[in-house]
Parts: sequence; C-alpha cells; structure tokens
Amino acid sequence: MAPVTAPQKKTLGKVLVIGGCGFLGHHIVDLLLESYKCTISVLDLRTTRNRRPDSDNVQYFDSDITSLSSILPIFEKIKPDIVIHTASPVAVGESSESKAKLRNAMYKKVNVDGTQCVIEACQKTDVKGLVYTSSASVISDTETDLVNADERWPVVPAKNQKEYYSTTKAIAESHVLAANRSPTSPSLLTCAIRPAAIFGEGDVQVIPGTLSAYTTNKTGFQLGDNNNLFDFTYVRNIAHAHLLAAYALRVTSQTSIAPLDHEKVDGEVFIITNDQPVYFWDFARAVWKAAGNQKGTEHVWVIGKDVGLVLATVVEWGTWLVGRDTPFKRRIVRFSSMTRYYDCSKAKRRLGYRPIVSLQEGIQRAVAYWLEEQKSEGEKKGQ
Amino acid sequence: MGLLRQLLYFSVHPNQLRSILQWKIWHDPVHTRDPKKESATLQECFKYLNMTSRSFSAVIQELNPELLVPVALFYLILRGLDTIEDDMTIPLETKEPLLRNFQHILEKDGWTFDGNAPTEKDRELLVHFDVVITEYKLVKPQYKAIIADITDKMGNGMADYANNAEHNVNGVNTIKDYELYCHYVAGLVGDGLTRLFVESKLANPALLKRPELAESMGQFLQKTNIIRDIKEDLDDRRRFYPKEIWSKHVDKFEDLFDPKNIDVALNCSSEMVLNALRHADECLFYMAGIKDQSVFNFVAIPQSMAIATLELVFRNPEVYKKNVKITKGDACQLMMDSSTNLRTVCEIFKKYTRRIHKKNTPKDPNYLEISIACAKIEQFIESIYPTQDPKKLSLIHAGEIDPDVEKKKAQDSEAKKDVFFLLLAVVGTLLVISALMIGAAYLAGARFDVAFNEIKKGMIFPKLDNGSEGPQTIVDQHDHGEL
Repeated sequence: MAPVTAPQKKTLGKVLVIGGCGFLGHHIVDLLLESYKCTISVLDLRTTRNRRPDSDNVQYFDSDITSLSSILPIFEKIKPDIVIHTASPVAVGESSESKAKLRNAMYKKVNVDGTQCVIEACQKTDVKGLVYTSSASVISDTETDLVNADERWPVVPAKNQKEYYSTTKAIAESHVLAANRSPTSPSLLTCAIRPAAIFGEGDVQVIPGTLSAYTTNKTGFQLGDNNNLFDFTYVRNIAHAHLLAAYALRVTSQTSIAPLDHEKVDGEVFIITNDQPVYFWDFARAVWKAAGNQKGTEHVWVIGKDVGLVLATVVEWGTWLVGRDTPFKRRIVRFSSMTRYYDCSKAKRRLGYRPIVSLQEGIQRAVAYWLEEQKSEGEKKGQ
Repeated sequence: MGLLRQLLYFSVHPNQLRSILQWKIWHDPVHTRDPKKESATLQECFKYLNMTSRSFSAVIQELNPELLVPVALFYLILRGLDTIEDDMTIPLETKEPLLRNFQHILEKDGWTFDGNAPTEKDRELLVHFDVVITEYKLVKPQYKAIIADITDKMGNGMADYANNAEHNVNGVNTIKDYELYCHYVAGLVGDGLTRLFVESKLANPALLKRPELAESMGQFLQKTNIIRDIKEDLDDRRRFYPKEIWSKHVDKFEDLFDPKNIDVALNCSSEMVLNALRHADECLFYMAGIKDQSVFNFVAIPQSMAIATLELVFRNPEVYKKNVKITKGDACQLMMDSSTNLRTVCEIFKKYTRRIHKKNTPKDPNYLEISIACAKIEQFIESIYPTQDPKKLSLIHAGEIDPDVEKKKAQDSEAKKDVFFLLLAVVGTLLVISALMIGAAYLAGARFDVAFNEIKKGMIFPKLDNGSEGPQTIVDQHDHGEL
C-alpha cells in the first residue's frame, strides 16, 4: 500500500500508544512507522504479542493503566507530546449472570478508571494532545435503528443503554472531553474517535464471528429482510483517523490562536466509518466469499425479524433448560436485522479524513489473515 | 402486440392498465403549447420533434413557455448533428466538415441536407432543416449563444470519434474513453440544458458551480441506453461497452452473446450497471436545484425511466437477445410519479435501487461494490430527507417524550379525526338527501306554506278522521259478510 502522506512525512514528536499491542493499537503503531516522523513508545498490559522488531526502535512498556502509580513513571520517562489511548477490553456477551458481573466490573475498571488515570498522567506530564478511542456504539442502545447518524445524535444515557460496555465507553469519553483545555491543565488538548464496527487482521469479533457461520455451514440463513444498512470499518482506516486527529491536536497546540468553531478538533468527537455503508447480509456474504464460499443466494432461507425473535426466545430457553449456550440469541437477531450506519462527514471536513483502504480490500486482507491463522492452528494441532 | 394478446396481458396485469388509464385521464400538464399562436415554420419544427423523438417530445412540449422553443430547437439541432454522425454511408470527407461547422450552418438561411441514406430514420429532419434555422434565428440571443456553444463542442467531439479509425473498428477501449464518448453525446446536453435553465431563472445558479452534477445527469441516461441497446448496437455493428470492462469477462466481444457464456455475460452487464449506478446520487442532487415544476418534470421523467431501466437490465439475460424495455404501464406510472417533487423521485430511486440490491448475487465479481453503490444512493436520499431527528432522540432519552405515548397520541388524534369525518359524512349525506327530497316534493307541488302554517298552529299531526270517513264507507260496502 502507498504511504498515507505525500513524500514529506508529517511530524508528530514523541508518541505514546496505550494498548499498542492490541488489535487497533498495533495497526496505529504500524501506520506511525510508515507515515509519520516520530518516536514511538507503547504501553500495554502485556507487550509480547503484536510487537514490532527491535530494528523499528519502538519502546515497549508493560504496565496497567488502572494504576496511576505504575504508569506515571513511564509517562515521566518518555515525556510524550501525543498520547493515543486505545486500550479497552474486548466486548463480548457472557452466558452466565455471575460471569457477566465480573466482566462488567472489569469494563468499568479499565475503561472508566483506567482512562481517568491516563488523563491524570497526561496532565501531570504536560502532554499536548490526547486522542481517545471511544466507540460509535455510545449512541446506539442496540435496539433502536441508527439511520445515517452523525455527531449530533445523543449519547445513550446509562439507564437506556443495554450494553454496559458502551456505557463505560461513554463515561470515559465524557471524562476525556472534559479534560480538553481544563482550567487546571489548559495546555492538554483532547478528542475522541468513535469507530463503527471495526474489523481487520487480528480482530476477534467481526471476522471470526461472521466466518463461524460459514465454517459451520450456516450461510443458508438470513435474519431480517436485508434492507438494513450497516457500517463496518477497516482497522487501518481507524488508525489513520486517530493519527489525523493527533496531528490536528499538535498543530492546534502549537498555534496561539484558537481555532474557529467549525474547524475545531480539540474537545470534539468524530465518528469514523469506511464511508461505505452496506446491507448487513451482503457484508457477511462478501466475507464468506473471500473465504472461498461459491454459493449464491438461491439456497438462502429468509427468516423475518419477528419470527426470528420468537424462534430465538424458544432456542434460548431450550438451551438454558439443558444447560448449554447457543449462538442463536435474540441479541443476534436484533443486531443482524437493525439499521446502523453513520455519516462521517464531520471527520472528512475537520480532519481531512478519507478511508485509505476500501471495504473490499479490507475484507480481502482480514480474511486472508484469518485463513492463515486457521492453517497454522491446524498445523499445530496436527503436530 | 395483437389486440387479443394485449387484452390477455392486461387481464392478468390490471395494475399496468390502471397506470396507463390514469396517465391518459388524469395527467394535467403544467403548460400546454398552443399551436394556434405559432408560426407555420415553428409548427413544422414540432412536427419533426414528434417524428424524431419518442421519449422527449412530450416532456419538451409541456415545458415552461419561456424555454419551450429554445429547448425544442436545441433538441432538433443536436438530433440533426447526430443523424449526420450516425450515418455510415456519408464519406468522412463530407461528414467531418459538416460536424465541425454545424454551429455556423445554423446561421445559414435555407440550409438543408439530403446526403443521408434513404434508410436513415431521421433523414426528413435534415431535408427540411431550413425551418429549424428560421426559428433558431428568432430565439433570444442569450439562449442562442448557449445552443451554438454546445453544438460546436459536440460537433467537434463527434468529428474526433468519426476520425478515429481505431474507434470505428474496435469500439471503445477504456472506461475513460467510454465516459468521454458519453460526455460528447450526453454530458454536453446536460451542460447546455443547465445553462438554459439557469439563464431563464428556472434553476438554481449554484448548478453552474457544480458542473459534475449536470454531467452525471447526461452520463446516467446515456450509459443506461448503451447497456440496454447492446444487442441493437451489435446488429448495427457498433459497440460502446468499453473493452476495459468486457475483456474482464470474455475474450471476444461477440462471446457475450453466446448463450453458453450467459453467466459471465451477466457479470459483464452488471459491471456496466455498477458503473452507471454511481451517477445516481449526483442526479438526485442535481434535481434539487430545479425551481420550476415543468423543468423538474422534464429532467426527472427521463431519470426515473433510466433507474427503472437499469433495474430491468440488471442480471437480465434478455438484454443479449433483444432490446428490453420497461412496460408501458410502468412508464406511465413513472411519468405520473416523477411529475411531482424530488421526494417522490427519491422514493422511485430507492425502490428500484433496492430491487437491484435484491437481484445482486455473491457469485458476481462486483457483488460488494454493487451493494455499496446501492447503499450509497440510499444514504444520499437519507441525507436530504432524514428519517431520524437527533433533537427528538435527545428528548426521548431525557424522558421528556415517551415514544410510545407519542405514538398513542398521534393515533388518538387520528382516530378523533376519523370519527369527526365519519360524522360529517353521515350528516352531510342526510342533508343532501333531505334537500333532494324536499326539492323534489317542492317541484312536485307540495305546499310547504300550508304545512308550515298548520305546524305554527300547533297541529303537528294531520287530522285523519275527517278524510277517513269516505273511504271507510267504501270499504264497508265491500265488506259485508263475504268472508
């Protein structure tokens, strides 16, 4: 792929990527290395996976963001100009009540408390810009459609939010935004990126979830009428948006004049999509196709949303009675038949954002990676 | 179609018949041209317009009077140019200077041309082209300048193609060439018309600042025609599908028509549809800039026909066998719906877009791209007519509006309205019937004045005893003991 920027690479100074060994985080590190002039440090809970070779001069620090005392020394050592905070646990549904409780506690601890610590560390070490990875799900209650939603759409308050994960992301986002030019540390500029349904190489949700239907031979079902549009965003585009935002914060911080309201990046949120919404099941079929599926849609059995909800209720109770778990849940029926797409023009206008990898190309890359992983796993098992 | 076949067809497709009848009966043009006020030469011009154009002549003749004549002449002039370009029997030495100088020919009184082959369908127009020139000279100078400019550009573009031996043998090579061709024959028309609309203040001048929108209007129509006419063009030994596209699917262009290649041939035509579909959102955007109803109808009707045609040709094996056309009933329905407003036209686009999406299959190499193109049209429509209101959503979250309560309220007020109208209808009917009955009684000689006086005296019930004596005796007479 061509580098993002023109021959002249943009300068970002000292950049610290929190969660830089995670799914999104390591793509951000890759893009920084390719397209920006900067020194890179990574802070993560474990820095063994997704690590760049030593020759790239990326510094890795093992640390836990939920403890200010353990991250502060790292901040003081690096003295970053820009902090990109992408660390977040993977959002998954849990089958049992007690497990769900534990997981929710962890969401709060990492997303809310952890982000608080990061903000504080930024303020104490005179960081210029903090870019926070929020989520487009903060404006979705998981049931109501989102039709071409943009940043004017309200954040779903905790009482109406059915995914606790999204609640914690929303709270963290509000803390980050409140820290922008705060009276006590006016020099810290912040903004939040809200990616919509992120997928790519190494993702553990969208691509594996979609492909599990293919590998278990369930491509013959369609829930809902498939007129529902959805945004799926390739990880590299989201990484790109983060760096555009980081650069904008750095430029703002270096100029003495405050930006005009309609050009402002600091204190703002940005929805990021591939700018290519697509019909929900068409995306799934494109993914299956990339994995080798030859079938058309002749064999597909369409189950209406309402019928699907009833069926799923029955299945959920049935499997609960026999003490098992099922992938066929009401939550899945709702998800796959709802409309959920966004308008990312604010990011286009203010950040100059344009997706750098198309949806088609993104699917190719992500599925190729997944197939490769499956192969090596199979080899391991074979040994 | 024979009469019997038509009867059979309509008996199983009543909706089609209904659309045709509705259009014929209810269509009310915004403007109607008045031939009585026209000069003889102008009437001649309209005669040729009817002869040469199937789809445009009706919409042109309903245009705002300010633009009626300029647009009709613009059409005839370009049609004349096209008739020279199309005719393969005219030698290049004759053809090229004619094409390149056509804008000057427009100033030559009495110019006519009879060099077309007798089989050329629009030959007559050029044989009598002097009437067009006479009327063209009477058009307002600002409109003339626009028409001359486009004629100049199109004539030279066509001459370049006529000169290009490669094009004549192999058809269009790249997608860029294909779009350039469509620019000359259609994009320029879009440009000229837009300038006419803006000059006459019937469209938003902002359209001139976004020339790509007018270009898309022309490209969308032309590309749709090219996709639909592939078989007809092949029979005329012409090919407009760019090699860059068809060569991805077959080795030789003619292979597309071989029934055993139907799968790849369909993939090829669907790639052509995809290419055309990408103009749809800009076409809708363009139409938002039209201020005058007659101009809106003029631009919207062909666009709606085009999206419906695209849907019809999409993954349709018939296109390689014959020239497929939307049914007359559908055409009437589309004309009716398009003669309204942008919102309705957006609904039409959405409807056909979703049908294309439904027909799209993962077996198609462009499956995802087609899906994205369809979605983009839907997203664009949503951006001009949003279905969600963020302010309202905020109020719902704040608990100030409860969506269920709101819905119920709306339903209740709707129900109240219903009851009100029902009562109104009942009372109204009663009143009308009473009035009719009283009227009939009055005409028949009823003495309401007498009745009124009686009632005033307090005698609401008529006294029957006086009058009943007589009849009673008669009854008695017949009643004595016979039973």
